Amino acid sequence: MKIACFVEAYNFEIKSEEKALLKFKSTAETMGHSFEFIYKDDISRISDYDTLFIRATTDPSSCAYIISRLAEQYGLKVIDDPHSIRTCSNKVILHDIFQKNNIPSPGSVLFYGDYSHEIIGGIFKSLGCPVIIKTPYTRFSSHVEKASNIAEFIEISRHLLRKAKVLVVQEYVRSDFDWRVGILRNEVIYLCKYYIPKGGWKVKSKINGKNVWGETIAVSRDTISPELKDLSINLSKHIGTGLYGLDVKETNDGFKVIEINDNPSIYDGFEDVIDNDIYEKIISELVS
Amino acid sequence: MIIVSEEEDDSDSNPLFFLRQPVYDSVLNINHDYRYLRMGYYVSAHAETFGVEVTPNCTEIMDAYRNPLLMEKAKRNGIRTNEYRLITSVKSEFNAPVLLFAVNPFTNNSMKVVDSDSKLPEMIKRMSMGARFPVSLHPLTGEVHEIVQMFGESTNEETLAFTKRFYEVFNIPICKLVVQIDDGGVVLNHCEPAIKKEVKWDIVHDKMHEIKQGH
Repeated sequence: MKIACFVEAYNFEIKSEEKALLKFKSTAETMGHSFEFIYKDDISRISDYDTLFIRATTDPSSCAYIISRLAEQYGLKVIDDPHSIRTCSNKVILHDIFQKNNIPSPGSVLFYGDYSHEIIGGIFKSLGCPVIIKTPYTRFSSHVEKASNIAEFIEISRHLLRKAKVLVVQEYVRSDFDWRVGILRNEVIYLCKYYIPKGGWKVKSKINGKNVWGETIAVSRDTISPELKDLSINLSKHIGTGLYGLDVKETNDGFKVIEINDNPSIYDGFEDVIDNDIYEKIISELVS
Repeated sequence: MIIVSEEEDDSDSNPLFFLRQPVYDSVLNINHDYRYLRMGYYVSAHAETFGVEVTPNCTEIMDAYRNPLLMEKAKRNGIRTNEYRLITSVKSEFNAPVLLFAVNPFTNNSMKVVDSDSKLPEMIKRMSMGARFPVSLHPLTGEVHEIVQMFGESTNEETLAFTKRFYEVFNIPICKLVVQIDDGGVVLNHCEPAIKKEVKWDIVHDKMHEIKQGH
């Protein structure tokens, strides 16, 4: 089969990401398929391929969404499909999905910019202090801020509301790491711990003015706790059958999902260290 | 059916109130702007999360507002378009005059008419933000019109049959369409949010009333 892999130039800037992309290519070729990197200038010829794998950053506003939807309409198998992109890219929609389906997650509310005493007081009363404020389009820990008091909340939210109509305000759950559960077709295909860097409070933290990423430690998927596995698979089923990465906090009160991402990072030497068959599994899914 | 509208006359809910409630009934979402991350979009997304039918749904919104998706869907459904190209830089086969539409997340009302070949490279460079995003290039073959479509009705009598067909295919209650009119009829080039004051709200209210009576 002819596999198209939609990428942008930045996907080749980090060595470990480039190596992972080349592993996808060599795995596909070993399995008897062609695998071609395509770019935004190639969007119009997507119907020349049998299947599409997107590795460029996805968002409904991006070129990745356009190629995903065109490919779907031409009948190609697509990872990431347009529905998954629309759902996972938007934290407001995820908030709705978590609430409707009783997904265990930190307490959260939507904030539209009503600064009345009743609303602001209610937020801190129900979520505690500090709170996390996110824009709908946050990714890689960007546009996620922590407010430790009402004054900070007002300042941060006013700033973020300049570009967003609504914000997600979430209970802060302290942890040393987030579980990252990699899911494909509603099965766990890899498991990692994404550590919070020392002195920070999220996986990519600003420390002394510099962006610092925490360590990634791969863990065998066979060791996943049944509770975490059930929770992850249950949530992924509410989105679709694609490739997802869930971020989950482990607390004294059980596991709590922070978010589910389409287009999860897969870097050589990170997510693939223990369960290194993830390349084969993804290619097999693309050509199934 | 629940009618959610930014114009509160005749509607059952305004968008902000609607977004705070669970949804159990089908939804008609009336808004002049359904762009991603705007209220019009969130109303449809909220309804979809609750598994109810909504007009327009999020797929329909994105299909109408992203130019290449609009063009492909129109072609598949027999709506006349002209041969558009997605480009990030000038190629020799493109000649002015052309219409250009930005395909980036940041721009609205992006149409540019370029009437000379020498101006094309600079305009494409600017609209593609230095080749970061594609630009949709359409040949200019007729007279360009901007019309507002409301439930198939049009602000331009000449395009009434066209807007009726557009609404049947795209299911967007209110939008602005960029079209060209030539000897062969109406050619679709682009769809974007209408400006609120351009919408004939009396037509919208009549349609809402008809739909309510029908339910």
